[in-house]
Amino acid sequence: MTEGTKNQKTGWTRRRVLGTAASGLALAAAGGFPMPAIAQGKKLTYWGGLIFSDDANKLLTDTINAWGAANGVATEVVMINQNETTQKVSAAVSSNSMPDALDMGLGLARLLARQSQFSDLGDLYKKIGDAQGGWFTGPDTATDLTADGGIARVGIPFGVNGNLLLRRKDLLEPAGFTEPPKTWDELVTQAEAINKPPVSGLGLALSNVGDANLQVAVLQSFGGRIADDAGKKVTLDTPETRLWLTWLKNAWDKGLFSPGNTTWDGAGDNQAYLSGQAGFIANTGSVGIAARKDDPELFQSSAFSPLPGGPKGIISPIDVQVRAITKASAMQDEAKALLEHLSSPEFMNAYFNVAIYGPVLAAQEKLQAFDGTNTILVGLLGLAKNGTAPAYPDVNNAAFADFNSNFLIPKLAQRVVVDGWDFDKAIAEAQAQGQAIYDKYA
Amino acid sequence: MTVSAQVPARSRFAGGLRLKLFAYALVAPVVLLILGLVAYPFLFAIWVSFTDMVIGSVGQFVGFKNFQYLAGTATFWSAIWNTVTIVLVSDGLKLAIGLGLALLVHQKLPGRGLFRSFLMLPWAMPAFVAFLTWRVLYQPIGGGINLILTQTGLYPQVIDFLGQRQTAMASVIAASVWRGFPFWFVSILAALQSVPKELYEAAIVDGANAWQRFWNVTIPSILPVIIVTTLLSSIWTANGFEHVWLLTAGGPSDATMVFPVLAYFGMQTQRIGEAAAVSVYMLPVLAILVIFATSLMMRREE
Repeated sequence: MTEGTKNQKTGWTRRRVLGTAASGLALAAAGGFPMPAIAQGKKLTYWGGLIFSDDANKLLTDTINAWGAANGVATEVVMINQNETTQKVSAAVSSNSMPDALDMGLGLARLLARQSQFSDLGDLYKKIGDAQGGWFTGPDTATDLTADGGIARVGIPFGVNGNLLLRRKDLLEPAGFTEPPKTWDELVTQAEAINKPPVSGLGLALSNVGDANLQVAVLQSFGGRIADDAGKKVTLDTPETRLWLTWLKNAWDKGLFSPGNTTWDGAGDNQAYLSGQAGFIANTGSVGIAARKDDPELFQSSAFSPLPGGPKGIISPIDVQVRAITKASAMQDEAKALLEHLSSPEFMNAYFNVAIYGPVLAAQEKLQAFDGTNTILVGLLGLAKNGTAPAYPDVNNAAFADFNSNFLIPKLAQRVVVDGWDFDKAIAEAQAQGQAIYDKYA
Repeated sequence: MTVSAQVPARSRFAGGLRLKLFAYALVAPVVLLILGLVAYPFLFAIWVSFTDMVIGSVGQFVGFKNFQYLAGTATFWSAIWNTVTIVLVSDGLKLAIGLGLALLVHQKLPGRGLFRSFLMLPWAMPAFVAFLTWRVLYQPIGGGINLILTQTGLYPQVIDFLGQRQTAMASVIAASVWRGFPFWFVSILAALQSVPKELYEAAIVDGANAWQRFWNVTIPSILPVIIVTTLLSSIWTANGFEHVWLLTAGGPSDATMVFPVLAYFGMQTQRIGEAAAVSVYMLPVLAILVIFATSLMMRREE
């Protein structure tokens, strides 16, 4: 038998194996490259912020898809957990696969705006504002990125959130406290009155989580500052910082803070309150919604109020959620039309009723959602109208954001209450670490 | 003659070359896959650690700036100390518990099969579930451990296990040991079962007592397995994220801060270059452990 006949009989030659492998590789490679857009058809991709309210998530998805169907635009809505938006967006930017439009917090929007990722929405911002009585001052100021040197308006605000004080009125009223505390000192007085195991007066986090950065606002309300007016030199070593630490240490020494609060995760205060172990917490309203759904009795026993103030007044920073359009999107006009639709009073009224955001537009105050029946939304309305701009009175720059992401103020508190450091030593460490962060941005 | 003698040689050469090319072609997809999935991300992470990359920008080369900045922070030094402490103490405890239980189960005891399966449960449980369960157990109010201590009168006061410096690290290590000892147990048990009985018989004939048999027969026989297990476990523990993150998130006051958690915080600040630098700081030590473990395992296979 010749070599040739042998090969014909077996069917598999080296050449054929190689040929088959090469064909497979070629097919796989072809699959890895995107087909031309025209062949795929245009589709508007929207990344919505997944919040804990299923109703809100469904409403957003259904509304976008219905708008697409009515306007002949193919839509794809991907709901992204808000805690994972940064990671997802990071990967999408690196791989040039950003959606056409997306929801996000102001911090991420600001960062991406510096990288010129977004389209200019100045016209749309003005159009929506003019149609609905203008924007509230807080969201308006917070989302103005003129100082960053790029486009002033890259996002359309759609909701305000921030901390409200949630208290157990069923415990406080019998103790003689019918009104919410107006100052941080009053808060300690009231907390002390109801601080009996298993209830701790203050369910405030002092751990390495975002909730613990509430102490930045407390520090500022005592007159302290993170940095100077130029936003460059850290200014923690002041009498005002010591005043705040005195307040904190006093409350700690009285045993008012919930045990375990120095290592709480983001849900620590929620769990403490919902399990009936905390008299006061500062929360965005999510705990109230959870209580309303799962523990109506606790919800009825709770009340919301603005954050207390210090010697320098109330510092109650707001965060603003925005919708933006990516610069690379091939569907700029469609995306703008969608964002305008999502700002309509009809949609936003329905959305506010199931989400936990405060209004951003003056006309939204008149919506049914804010008629006073929902106490959480009433609190958020107050926050939208009276809340302070992010970082205020500090400069809201990248260094401030980095400072807070490193939880330097909660860590300063931990040095004092956990390690027992004296104020000078703890402040000196925080000052040095803070300055090292600010120097990176000099 | 000359011509006819050269033709077969060239043919052999050409045949050999084709065979080699064929072999390379077969291996090439796997090599490309490994390069793409392992080498590229690995080298890219090293590159990123030398840049000021933040989300949305590719970043500029900044030399050792990220490393210098990290070395200047107290948290970084806490992370070094804590990582070393967790690796040494928890692996030491895992060794002691794993060895003790393996020796026990190696005996002919009634129901030992069931006992073996029972001991594997912590390892079979997803880490996420295991450490959240431990977190609940450690709770000051309503936590299982505090309930036992207070209600039995062993310790009348509630202990904030995770919230105070004195107990946080020990609590993290205890949970980590609980989750990790079954790997040691199983590895050592397998090694014990492969020790030839003749060695023990010879030792008995020589008059060796139980301790002498353990020290001179058992330990030398299972030592290679213990070394490999130590190296692997050290790598996993040093790289471990969930046990610290889910229990304390590195607190309180950096008392349990470790490198993986520090790197995660770097990601939270959106400064990817710094986060990568934290990981790269760990590389030399981990690389040494990996090389040791790999060479030992290959030697054992031979």
